[in-house]
Amino acid sequence: MKDDEDLELQALQRQLDDAFETTRPRAGFEDALWSRMQARRPLWRRIREFFGGLVDSVREAPAVPGAAVAALLVVAIGAGVLALSVVHQGGGGSTRGLSRPESDSQFNGAASFGRLPSPALHPPPTADTALPKASNPGAAAQPAYAVYLGPANLAWGGRFTFQLISAPVYRYGEPSAADADQFAASLGASRQGGGGAGALGSYSGDGFVLGVVGSIQALDREPSFYLTPDQTRLPAPGPAPAATADAFLAAHSLTPTWTYAVAVDQVGDVERVRYLRQFAVPGAGPAFLVDGLGERYGLEVDLRGGKPLQAIGPMPLFLASATYPTISSSQALTMALAAAPAAPASIQPIPTVNLTSVELVYALAIAGDHSFYEPAFVFSGTFTYNGVAYVKRVLVPAVDPSQRSS
Amino acid sequence: MLADRPPFEDLYRDFLGRIYAYVRAQVATPADAEDITAQVFMNAYQAYGRFEARNTTPAAWLFRIARNATLDHFRAHGRRERLRRTIEHQPVAEADPAGVAEERIQYRALLSHVAQLPERQRDAISLRHSGLSFEEVGALMKCSEDAAKMLYHRALKALRESVKEEMP
Repeated sequence: MKDDEDLELQALQRQLDDAFETTRPRAGFEDALWSRMQARRPLWRRIREFFGGLVDSVREAPAVPGAAVAALLVVAIGAGVLALSVVHQGGGGSTRGLSRPESDSQFNGAASFGRLPSPALHPPPTADTALPKASNPGAAAQPAYAVYLGPANLAWGGRFTFQLISAPVYRYGEPSAADADQFAASLGASRQGGGGAGALGSYSGDGFVLGVVGSIQALDREPSFYLTPDQTRLPAPGPAPAATADAFLAAHSLTPTWTYAVAVDQVGDVERVRYLRQFAVPGAGPAFLVDGLGERYGLEVDLRGGKPLQAIGPMPLFLASATYPTISSSQALTMALAAAPAAPASIQPIPTVNLTSVELVYALAIAGDHSFYEPAFVFSGTFTYNGVAYVKRVLVPAVDPSQRSS
Repeated sequence: MLADRPPFEDLYRDFLGRIYAYVRAQVATPADAEDITAQVFMNAYQAYGRFEARNTTPAAWLFRIARNATLDHFRAHGRRERLRRTIEHQPVAEADPAGVAEERIQYRALLSHVAQLPERQRDAISLRHSGLSFEEVGALMKCSEDAAKMLYHRALKALRESVKEEMP
């Protein structure tokens, strides 16, 4: 009797082993979730991983300020960084006034920056072509859509309301180490190291460490700073994440002076306050800056337990501007439907997508000594594949092709 | 990266299925299990910098996060309602019919019996058959290794009775 009972229990154990070993998520879940996690990594971590062995470390500030030297923020810049040149940087440590146009010529058939490189969507270097991201940055606790950049059969089913004739293009010069020093000094930080192969510099200030890097083409990022505070010397948290982030930025003279909209995301135990950058387009209102996935971005402040962990954002640079002629809505639509995919196929069969919305945005085109924020149209449409909701995006440069070099 | 801390991607690939199965044994639908599993790995990814291998195994660390996430889910959604659906075998609308087909029917029935066990018994069964040692099960459940073994065997017998009762 006892033996029978033991045999029954052993059989049940085997069934349980089988049940647990064969109970797995649906096909595609593993890769989709991994992509989602990759896409939600902080930018500094993506940069660090991108540069792999060239990058030393990006560390949190030490608890003891005197040990700050040992916690230098060292970010190496590899082949993705372009040649450096002197830029015109506004005075002071804040971004105040740095985005004023140097000139604003009216288009007369010969735009002042010459032919422009074309901005484009492309997946980040370590991710798949289907990259889950939040479709609503204001409520991004759980991404609603995966971003799909691969091939698709496209149709148009929306309304195109923009009536642009021209739009401003903004240009910055790639900063030098001396420019980074000037920026750091304006925050009260002094150089602690060169940052290795090509980093503009690493710095230490009173209760924080700072790193500055140049443009990174593969990540579609302009020259950026990374400020990490000493966790023992932070003021009391504000009533809400955005208020805490505002106060933190203000205390370090880093409040953006460019136009922005604020979004707050929950990423694990981190609250991320994002100041999404906008550019004014006469007659069309503000247009968000988007990255290589078509996602809005700007300056980010990460908080944990209500305390700032790190701020990352664009280094304040002087922006020159010039007005360029733009394509018509019908041209934009034709180009969107005929656009080559920005990434290889990752979904089979190739999906059919009805593009239903279009947004005027600005996208970065990195191009040597000078890089450009250029107007563009992002067309979007959603579809579902294997139970996963995707958004397909197509970016069409808005500047007339006659004014573009690529 | 510390020498004794494997890359997170290795952990992810090794444990995703096991964590999913552990969660799936306790919640009513594959969709809930996927949501919780996603939350587990999002949280783990954020916290991995603070993981110290000398204090615990990666498995125990991940399953602790999974256990907490599952408890949070029940707090938020009402465990009673979820259990009622499971017990009464009332299928919840599935978002992905293909996913349903992938689940083996007989194992779903067995896991639904696991889900009906008292919480600690259910945990002991789920953690043990997710590949944890009794020492790890005990550590997670805040009891000794021997106590974990006893709890597991009591749970196994209770499960056998539960399965028998349903047989015609």
